[in-house]
Formats: sequence, C-alpha cells, structure tokens
Amino acid sequence: MGRPLAFQPAAPADAPAHPALAMLAAETRIRRGEAPLSVGGVAVAPGTWCLGREEFLLRAGEAITFYYRRGAGVLVDAPDDSDPRDIRLWREGTVHAAIAALNGLVPLHASAVAHDGQVYAFTGPAGAGKSTLVAALGKAGFAQFSDDTLILDPSALGAPLCLPGHKRTKLWPEGARLAGVEPGEQVASDYAKHVVEPAAGTAPGPLPLAALIELAVEDEPRFAPLGLGERIALLEGDHYTAQLWRAAAAQPRDLRFAELAALAGRIPMARFWRPFEASRFDAGVAAAARYIRGER
Amino acid sequence: MTALPAKDPARFAETRIGDEVVVMNLATGDFFSLEGAAAAIWELLDGRRDRAGAVAELAARFAGEPGEIAADLDRFVAELEEAGLLARG
Repeated sequence: MGRPLAFQPAAPADAPAHPALAMLAAETRIRRGEAPLSVGGVAVAPGTWCLGREEFLLRAGEAITFYYRRGAGVLVDAPDDSDPRDIRLWREGTVHAAIAALNGLVPLHASAVAHDGQVYAFTGPAGAGKSTLVAALGKAGFAQFSDDTLILDPSALGAPLCLPGHKRTKLWPEGARLAGVEPGEQVASDYAKHVVEPAAGTAPGPLPLAALIELAVEDEPRFAPLGLGERIALLEGDHYTAQLWRAAAAQPRDLRFAELAALAGRIPMARFWRPFEASRFDAGVAAAARYIRGER
Repeated sequence: MTALPAKDPARFAETRIGDEVVVMNLATGDFFSLEGAAAAIWELLDGRRDRAGAVAELAARFAGEPGEIAADLDRFVAELEEAGLLARG
C-alpha cells in the first residue's frame, strides 16, 4: 500500500461535471510506494516506458519510477529527497498522457488557448514555439487552456472536447523574453525551462476543439487549411503522445486508420507559417490572434 | 482489349472527404493522399473496366489529349502496383 504524496493534483472546488474529468481525477491520484520495474514480465530500462493493456510503467531515469494500473491510480517510487518539481514534471506530462490514452482519451502534443468558448491548439515538434506563442497570445488577451499536452475526449458528438489539464506554461528564458512574460520557478532540477503565469488567466473546460494548427516557418505569416491526408499525418505523429495513443489502442492497422480518419474528419486543421526571427515574432502573434478571432 | 488491374481490398484501407481519397497500405502503414485525376483513376480500378474505357472516362472529365491521359493512367497504375495496392496477376 502506498502512502499519499504530499503533493496531489489540485482538486476542483466542485465535483467535475464531465465523466471523463471525473475519471481522470480518480485515475491520476498519486501515492508513494514501491513500484514494479517490469510490465508483463519484461523489464523496463531506465529512461524508457512500457504500456500494457491495463498498466503503464515509466522509468524516469535511475531514481524515479511511476507505475499506473487502471483503477488503482499512480504509484511513484522515488527517494524521499527527490525534487518534487521533477516528480510533477513527469506526472503532468508523460504519465498524464499515458493514463488518458489507456482510458479511451486522445493525448495530443499541443499548447492551446481558449476564445469564445472554443479551444485553438497549436502543435509542432519540440522547439517550434508552441508554448511561446500561447504565452504571447495570453498577452493579447487569450486565456490559456493547456501547455504541451492537450487531452481530447473523442466520444463527444461533433467536435471533440478538450479536457483541462495542468495550466503551467513552461518557457525557456528566451521564449519568456519574446512573449513579454516574467520567468518564474525553474520547472525541474535538470530542465531549465521556467514556469510562467498566463497573462490572461486560464480557461476552464471542457471546451470543444475549434482548430488544431500546425506551426511552420516562412517569411510571411499565413494560414492554409490541411487536407484529409495531412490531418491524418498530423495526428499520427512521432511525439510520445502519439506513441502512447497508438500503444494504448493496440489496434490492427485498418482499425487504426479508420479511427484516425474519423477523428481527422472531425477536427478543422490548418498550417500556420510564420517568421521565426525574434524581430518578427510579434507579427506572427498578431496573425495568430486575427485567425482565432475569425478576422481572416 | 487490355484489362485494367484492380485494387486489392485486402491490401489497403481507404477513406474519403470531399474530393480527397486517403489510402493506407495495410502491410507498411504508409498512406497516400489522392485528389483530382489520381482519385478518379483510383475509383476506376474496380476490376470491371478495360484500359480504353478508363481512358475514355477520364477524357470526359479532364482536359488533355487521350494519348496524354493514357500515359498518365499507365504511369499512375504502375505507381500503385509498386506501392503494393493492386491485385497481382
């Protein structure tokens, strides 16, 4: 039996109204204890993860292990003097995404803002500037919805619902300077991003997804809608969130394709080209703001 | 009469939105986006048409001389065969 962790996810003031939120709140309860180091009899090496039908094991380096089993919450096995920031970083990222995937939700690698009751999510590889853009959009008045991981509930009719996750935006010092926000606490002991406060606050959810926008680089800001093939490719990416989703689904290719196609057909997607030079950052932010407001 | 090869349903999965067809090769996981003439040719490879009939149908829908259309048809069919999406034989 584990003992409760000193730090727990913040509980909402009222019980979550949405079933998926209630499920996630229950499944992500965390406690300290001794975690296994294998799944299905296969040892999991430090720095890797393994996802089974009902369980997930993450070895976040030599000292910290997270073990989740459906219905039993999360065990974290770490020395008593572990930096709580390190535990929180893994828990809010990979662990949360894995639990979502194992429970029928879809984790996306995206940072998002809310506007007019909908979510606009930005995706792209690490370093594309997703969090920086979202922080800057906060300065332009858009409430932050998520950072780095966005969880979708595809069971909703119409547009998939975005579930609120952690609200901590994490920026490199340069990104904080570009976005015009003050860097706060360093995110983890060996990860030099800093937490920043969202300038326009955060948006409660769940909220429907209005658009998934892929970031790209070009001289002049512009948006272009993605075709079905591009949308499927965007969902079937290489990031660990897509890997977790694939592993959790464990489907033959034809069923996987059908699921991807169905979800891609429900989500408007676009590619946003914008200049990457710091001197032109604000032009990109302004273009993104106009897009979100429908001033196209 | 030259027969046109047919798609092999056991080798792919497909989906369509509007004029775009997306096809996944089930053996490799690779997928292809087809629009315009490519999507039209894909629809014609149902095992019930010959090459001349397919050229005639494409010529009625798309601009170009029948000779050019036939060459484009042959080229695209060869690509689909190489991608492993058509029935063998």
